[in-house]
Amino acid sequence: MSDGVHEGAVTGKPDPVLKVDGLRKAFGGLQVTDDVDLEVERGSITGLIGPNGAGKSTFFNLVSGFYDLDDGTVTVNDTDVTGREPHEVADAGLVRTFQTPRKLEGMTVREAMLVGPQHQTGESIRALFTNRSQVLAEERSNLERAMETLERFEIADFADTPATELSGGQMKLVELARATMTEPDILLLDEPVAGVNPTLANKLKGFIRELNDDGITFLVIEHDMGFIMDLADPIVVLDQGSVLVEGEPEAVRTDDRVIDAYLGGPLDE
Amino acid sequence: MAANPVTKWYAGLTTAESNVVWSVGVLVVLFVLGVGSGVLNLAYGLFLLALAGMYVLLSLGLNVHWGYAGLINFSVAAFWGLGAYGTALVTARDSPLGFTVDPIVGLFVGLGLAAVVAVVIGIPTLRLRTDYLAIATLGLAEVIRSIINNQSTWTNGPSGILGLPLFFGNWPILGSVPRGAPTYALDVVLVAVFIAITYWALRRLHLSPWGRTVRTIRADEDLAEALGKDTFRFKMEAFVVGSVVMALAGVFYAHLNLAITPSDLDPIQTFYVWIAVILGGSGSNRGAFFGGLILVIIVQGTRFLGGVLPANFPAAAVRLLVIGLLILAVMYTRQEGVLPPQHELITPGTTESDGPVSTGGSDE
Repeated sequence: MSDGVHEGAVTGKPDPVLKVDGLRKAFGGLQVTDDVDLEVERGSITGLIGPNGAGKSTFFNLVSGFYDLDDGTVTVNDTDVTGREPHEVADAGLVRTFQTPRKLEGMTVREAMLVGPQHQTGESIRALFTNRSQVLAEERSNLERAMETLERFEIADFADTPATELSGGQMKLVELARATMTEPDILLLDEPVAGVNPTLANKLKGFIRELNDDGITFLVIEHDMGFIMDLADPIVVLDQGSVLVEGEPEAVRTDDRVIDAYLGGPLDE
Repeated sequence: MAANPVTKWYAGLTTAESNVVWSVGVLVVLFVLGVGSGVLNLAYGLFLLALAGMYVLLSLGLNVHWGYAGLINFSVAAFWGLGAYGTALVTARDSPLGFTVDPIVGLFVGLGLAAVVAVVIGIPTLRLRTDYLAIATLGLAEVIRSIINNQSTWTNGPSGILGLPLFFGNWPILGSVPRGAPTYALDVVLVAVFIAITYWALRRLHLSPWGRTVRTIRADEDLAEALGKDTFRFKMEAFVVGSVVMALAGVFYAHLNLAITPSDLDPIQTFYVWIAVILGGSGSNRGAFFGGLILVIIVQGTRFLGGVLPANFPAAAVRLLVIGLLILAVMYTRQEGVLPPQHELITPGTTESDGPVSTGGSDE
C-alpha cells in the first residue's frame, strides 16, 4: 500500500450504494470472476478499468442480474439483490447501460425516453381502464420531464426522430438520457465513449459530472484512459477476474502492478 | 368555404391510406351491386361479411402477440378452437356434457378456457426466448386438436358438435327473427359490436405506457429488463389478451356456423391469420383490420375460381399458390405491410403536437 493505491478493493466505506462480496463466476473451466469484492461509495464516480478479458463486462452482467452468479452477494442500497432478475435489481436502484447502444425499432426518441420512468400507473392493464385520469396526468408529467432531459442533453431536436435513424454518438446520449429517466441511485455505464468523437466525449463527461452533482452515483467501465482518469475517482483496476488495486487516478496510472497488468500479460492489446 | 370534416380527414391520409379507402369503397360498391343484381345471394353475402368480421378479430388478436410484443404464436387456430369448443360444449343441443346454458355464458366459458390455457402454456415458455414459444405453440395447436379429435366422451370426437343455438336465440325479439338473411344480419351486427369493443380496448392498451413497454420488449428484451420492466409479466399479459381475442373470434364463429368440428382447427387457419397480420402491417390495429378483410376475400374469393376453371383443375392447390404469390408480392413491394404503425405509443391527448403524420382523425 503506497501513494494512495490500495492492493485489492477498498472495503468498509461509510455509505456504499453498491456492495459486492466474494463474487465468483466461471464459464466452464474459465474462472472469469474470481472472488471480487467491491464497494462503490455514494456520490462517487468510480472508474472500472482493466485489460481486455479482465472480466469487467462480466462483472456488470453479474451485478445487474443478467448472469447467474456462482457465489457471492450483491447489495444495492442495503437491499440484497443476489440472484435477482435484472428488473428487480433496477427496482433496487441500480440501472446499467450496454456496450453497444440498443436501438428501439419503430420508436421515436421521446417514446424511448418514456420507457424509462419506473412504476408508471399506465403499465397496469387494469389502471388503463379504471384510472385514466392518473394515467393521463403521469403521462403528461413524464413527457415534460423527457423533453427537459432531452434539452439538457442537447438532443431535443431529435425528439420526433425514429431511434433507428440516430448516429452512434447521438444514440449514446439518448441511452444516458433514458437511463436517467429511471431515476437511478447508481448508474453503471459500459464504455460510454467507445466510438465517440472527442468533442462528444467531452460533452458526455460534462453531463456525467452534472448528473453526479444531482446525486447519481456512477460506476464506469472505459478503455479511454484520458477520459476515465479525468472523470473518475477512485479507479478500480480489474485483472484476471479479481480486483488488482484501487486508488486515486494519478497513483493508479503510475502504479507498477497496473502497468504490468496492461503491458506484461500475454495476448494483450 | 370551411373544409368539412370528411375532406379534411381525407386530405390527412397517406397515399397507402387513401388507396385502402378507395379499395374498401370499391369492394363495398361491388358487394352492393352483387347483392342488388342477385349475383350474390343476400344471405351468403351477409355470411361472408360476418366471416370477414371473424377474421378481423383473429388478426387483431394475433397483432397483440406478434405486432405488439413480438411473440410468435403458431396456435391461433387452437385458441380460436378453444373459444368455439368452449361455448359449443355448454350451449349446443347435442353437447356430450348433457346440459345447455345461454350463449352469453358460453361466451365467457370460451374466453375463460382460452385465458387459462394461455397462462398454463405461457408459464414455462414465456421466460425463454421467443423462438421457444413458437415451437411450444406449434406443438400446443396439435395437442389441442388431437385431444378434441380423440377424447370423444368430452367432445364428440371427429364428428364435432352440432346443434348450437344462434347467439341471440333466447332473446325476446331477436330470437324469433326468421332464419337466413335476417339472422345473418344480426350476426354481422354482433361481430361489428365485438370488433368495436376489441378495437377500442386494444387501442387504449397499445397507446399507453403498457404498449410502450411491450414494444420495447419486442425490440430488445434485455433493455426492457435493464430499465426495470418485469418482461415476463408484460409478455404474459400480452399473450393472454391476444389469446382471449382469438377465442372471441371462435365463440362468434361457433354461433355463426352453428357447428364446430376438429377439422376447423387445421394449422392452415393459423397461417391464414399470420398472412393477414403481416399483409396488413405488424403492430398496427388498422393494418390487422384491413388484413382480416383481405383474408376473407382471398380464402372465400378463390373458391369462386372453381366455377370458371375446368372441372379437373386443382383449385384447392392453386388457392394456396395464389396466396403465396400474393404474400411475395406484398413483401417485395411493401415490406412493412399495407398499413404499418404510424403513431407514437403515447397516451393520446398528452402531447401538445401530435405526431408528424397524424393530421386528422386517422386511427391507431
